[in-house]
Amino acid sequence: MPSEQDLSADVVIVGSGVAGSSIANELVRAGISVIVLEAGPRVDRQHFVENFRNLENKPSYQGPFPSVPWALHPPNQITPNDYLHTTGPDAEAYQQVYLRMMGGTTWHWAGCAWRYLPSDFELKTRYGQGRDWALKYDDLEPFYYQAEVMMGVCGPDPAREDLGSPRRQPYPMEALPISYAAQQFRKLISEKTPYRVVHEPQARNTRPYDNRPTCEGHNNCMPICPIGAMYNGSYSVYHAEAAGARFVPNAVVYKIERDSANKRVTAVHYYDPDKGSHRVTGKYFVIAAHCIETAKLLLVSADEQSPDGIANSSGHVGRNMMDHTGVQVTFISGDKALWPGRGPLETNVIDNFRDGSWRNERGAYLVHMVDDNQVDLATALAISKGYVGRELEEQIRYLASHTVRLFSHNEGLADPENRLTLSSTHKDMLGIPHPEVYYKLPEYTVKSCEHTRGLFRELIGLMHGTDEQWTPGYFPQDHPAGSTIMGTDPKDSVVDGFCRTHDHENLFIASSSVFSSVGTGNITLTVAALALRVADTLKKELSHA
Amino acid sequence: MPDVARKILWPALGAGAMLAALSTAPARADEPSAELLARGKYVATAGDCIACHTRPGGQPFAGGLSITTPMGDIISTNITPDPDHGIGKYTLQDFEKSVRHGVRRDGSRLYPAMPYVSYSGMTDDDVTALYTWFMHDVKPVAETPPATSLNFPANLRITMAIWNLVAGESEPETGDAATFDKLRRGKYLAHALEHCGTCHTPRNVMLSEKTDSYLAGASLLGWYAPDITSSKTTGIGDWSEDDLVAYLRTGHVDGLSQAAGPMGEVIEHSSSHLTDEDLHALAAYILQVPAKEDDGEHPARARAGQALDTPDIRSGELTRIDNLNPMDGKGVYDANCASCHGDNGAGTGDHYVPSLFHNAVVGSGHPDNLIMTVLEGVNRTANGVHAYMPGFDGKSDVQRLSNAEIAAVVNYVTATFGNGDHGVTAEQVGAQRVQTPKTP
Amino acid sequence: MAADRSCSSTRIHLATPNSMRMAQALRMSRRDMLLGAMGLATVAVGANPGLAATVDEDTVAPLFLALSKRLTDRETLNPQISQALYAGIIHAVPERRDQIGKLHALMESGNFSSARALATAAEHADPVFKDVIHEIMTGWYRGVADQKVVVYRSALMFDITSDAIYPKTYAAGGPFYWTKTPPEVAVPTGEPALSPSKFVVEPT
Repeated sequence: MPSEQDLSADVVIVGSGVAGSSIANELVRAGISVIVLEAGPRVDRQHFVENFRNLENKPSYQGPFPSVPWALHPPNQITPNDYLHTTGPDAEAYQQVYLRMMGGTTWHWAGCAWRYLPSDFELKTRYGQGRDWALKYDDLEPFYYQAEVMMGVCGPDPAREDLGSPRRQPYPMEALPISYAAQQFRKLISEKTPYRVVHEPQARNTRPYDNRPTCEGHNNCMPICPIGAMYNGSYSVYHAEAAGARFVPNAVVYKIERDSANKRVTAVHYYDPDKGSHRVTGKYFVIAAHCIETAKLLLVSADEQSPDGIANSSGHVGRNMMDHTGVQVTFISGDKALWPGRGPLETNVIDNFRDGSWRNERGAYLVHMVDDNQVDLATALAISKGYVGRELEEQIRYLASHTVRLFSHNEGLADPENRLTLSSTHKDMLGIPHPEVYYKLPEYTVKSCEHTRGLFRELIGLMHGTDEQWTPGYFPQDHPAGSTIMGTDPKDSVVDGFCRTHDHENLFIASSSVFSSVGTGNITLTVAALALRVADTLKKELSHA
Repeated sequence: MPDVARKILWPALGAGAMLAALSTAPARADEPSAELLARGKYVATAGDCIACHTRPGGQPFAGGLSITTPMGDIISTNITPDPDHGIGKYTLQDFEKSVRHGVRRDGSRLYPAMPYVSYSGMTDDDVTALYTWFMHDVKPVAETPPATSLNFPANLRITMAIWNLVAGESEPETGDAATFDKLRRGKYLAHALEHCGTCHTPRNVMLSEKTDSYLAGASLLGWYAPDITSSKTTGIGDWSEDDLVAYLRTGHVDGLSQAAGPMGEVIEHSSSHLTDEDLHALAAYILQVPAKEDDGEHPARARAGQALDTPDIRSGELTRIDNLNPMDGKGVYDANCASCHGDNGAGTGDHYVPSLFHNAVVGSGHPDNLIMTVLEGVNRTANGVHAYMPGFDGKSDVQRLSNAEIAAVVNYVTATFGNGDHGVTAEQVGAQRVQTPKTP
Repeated sequence: MAADRSCSSTRIHLATPNSMRMAQALRMSRRDMLLGAMGLATVAVGANPGLAATVDEDTVAPLFLALSKRLTDRETLNPQISQALYAGIIHAVPERRDQIGKLHALMESGNFSSARALATAAEHADPVFKDVIHEIMTGWYRGVADQKVVVYRSALMFDITSDAIYPKTYAAGGPFYWTKTPPEVAVPTGEPALSPSKFVVEPT
């Protein structure tokens, strides 16, 4: 257990996911002292690999990560859920999962490393919907590239496949060669439809990179890459530690202390698993604890000075909860065998609906053709149909080679009514309330999902599909955003364009919680780019201090 | 005859006024011929100068690599043509003296980490070509690596002079090395350029190579440079010339062996760049080196083992995310190795990942290289292929294994796919863990 | 119910590092500790020597293997896997022991030339045999019994697809193997043997 005098640094960071760990690594390499407080434990890969193999419900990507009781995370996407309580008309569509441990949720992302489109930052100006960010694409471009280098992102040559987000440098690694299934899908879309399929930029090695091996196509990006070919936040934790950052696991921050003027944060307090309390002081503080946990922490820290929670003079902490709530369908193709599941999980996307003038009335979306091994599902399905012996084996081969799964990321919209609050009924072992989220899918997103369903029906027809199974209702994408929304006006936003809280000059937030809109691409690269920009700001301020 | 030839060639150094001029002038007075430069570059590659004279991430030939020896760490010097930090002021004669005789321009002795005992066999033509290329084509780097500081008595360079007397030198080869017949060319490559014996020949108490045990296997830096004599049981006598050529070109022969560590570097920087003809000459020569049995190698190391075929009966139990408990050998293998090497040890179908049975590193009676490979991984680019395996040491981002876990998995792998459990202990792994090369 | 099961798997461990240190001081194994925290009285079959011993001596266990061969239309099946699956199946539902014996007797009483013929006759004779056969198929093909993984990569579903695809985390084709063309698969013509059941996809 660290002694109290050790618990002081130039910058104190709460959370060791991609955001917190990359800030720590940047700062410590610039000679700035850093403490990273992680609620969950130090972890390693080998036990997760074995957990996955021992897991009966293989598609459950939260499954191999049973949480520790002092830092619970949602056990699965089932409603009701043991930890994250969702309510409202679309409660089930907001059943997000994430991981509270060293390295954070990037242990089980699929490595999709999209840049947002320039238009995503100006939704209000361009389309009269939602909100604008307090920064522009160009402000973030250098940090997008820095994040791509840090993670090791592979992607297509922009001259051949322009993904709509202007680049000053090529991707750090060449695009991933695509699977046979994806090649066939690409061919079909380009020959038979007006749409296109593009390479998904991915934080995945197409050559040895950063002391990690080339992807070998284990098809297990979610829940656990067994060989480390995909980026996860633990690498940045290791790199930061190697450079001298102090990493404190099992440190559950529950209180944010300010000066008498309530302008500067002076310390954070954390519980260890036995509820011993520790105070950590610093010059600057960064909350990088995931969209849901960040808002929860700001609300939990409410006190007499700030009865509605920290950084919450606007009342917007916990509001504007967004996601890429989408739709999903699985069907059996009537065409040639595809054998999905050879290679990485998510590599190809239909991107025609990421932007367009129609965004003034319905949300954008992108479509993943999921390249997921279907053998287990095919076997369970064939058994349920009553096959045995030789006929069962024929069925397994056929279903496993012909199953197609499509899902979409549909653009959410900031709505203050979609709100995270503290549970009045559930507390964890440390006495900290569980988070609760009210969610009603915005009309804008509902219209987008309707459009997606139409597209899916068109594609099912094209592939002579049968046995379609639509995931009931809407599908949470675990891309929560908006709970400490960014804006220029302190009255209706929590942070400014540099992710600094309007209320507290030395408190920053590095998380998707600052997003003003969610666009369509997976959120992680934008989280990392914003975090690196926070690091840049802190480096400048600390060098002048 | 050789003596005569030597006298004739030295110091005038063969044909042409240009070369004669070079022998006295350190500067780049004239434009040397493209052929001479190409030959010099080739000699530098075959001699693998870059391996020691470049630190990881450093400028080529600027030195700074720390080389661990039983006497202490020796830091390689800057041999770029920078006049103040490198060898820019060296005349050809100065250069020849250091390369072939281990004597620096200032008269002090080089440490025997520099394989001048081998290089002393280099022909005059090749020394000249090498010098010309260094002076003309290598980019000068104005930096001086830290000085070597050894323990007494090796810190006295005079000790090196005495050592040198013991170690002896070989006579330089004579004539045009490009025209030698196959075996003579092979011998020249093995001795004077590639200096195979520097690592593969065991050393006597004075750290000189044991001449009666040429290429019979020796330890270095935690690795074991195995017996590569023609012994069919403990050497590589059952390899074909083509096998050895393939190994030296690519670092990998399916069902036999692959290179990592120092040998991986030799292949990456040196042997993979040799001509086909030279590779065959070198292989033919090595394969006729008299057999010398290595007592640690029974039975033949590359023939052991077979694919494992056992079901993966499981507990079906999960452990909590904070479980960092050590695993047993089989568990470590399944969780960290099996994804690439296969549960059956067969590697990948395209041989990018080698099989663990029929693998000289696993089948060896010396588990050193397997331990080092688990610690440091493989990182070798040759023939257009970047072979890469992550290390599992304390710097790994993929998985950090304890000494006990590495000992357990090494014992599991040799017992399952090699020639039995060698009883590697955590202490042994710990001792090898600290052997990794350092950069000052 | 799937939801209940998934929830219990995350409740597994309520111990804190300090309580674990205490347990270690008291010489409790971590496993005892975790199981204690789970409040579970049951232990995984494979890890329980008492039960494993009874399965070794269980006279129905060999019948399970013989029955499995018929129901998979295979001449050879791994006996170790057979033992482990049998143990899991009768652990989940003890009556299965008796039912497996009866199903084996039914098989012996007739001349069933295929898995399908036996399965059809069995469901006709007693609807409970449908469940028994489902569990046997789930065991051998998915590697699951008692809602737990008994074998993963050794499940038969991977054996019959090994010319095309690898079990996740055991890909053995090397980088970019996935760009190559996998085998074509003909539309199956065989009929099911049992009446269909509702197919429930477990939530993630």
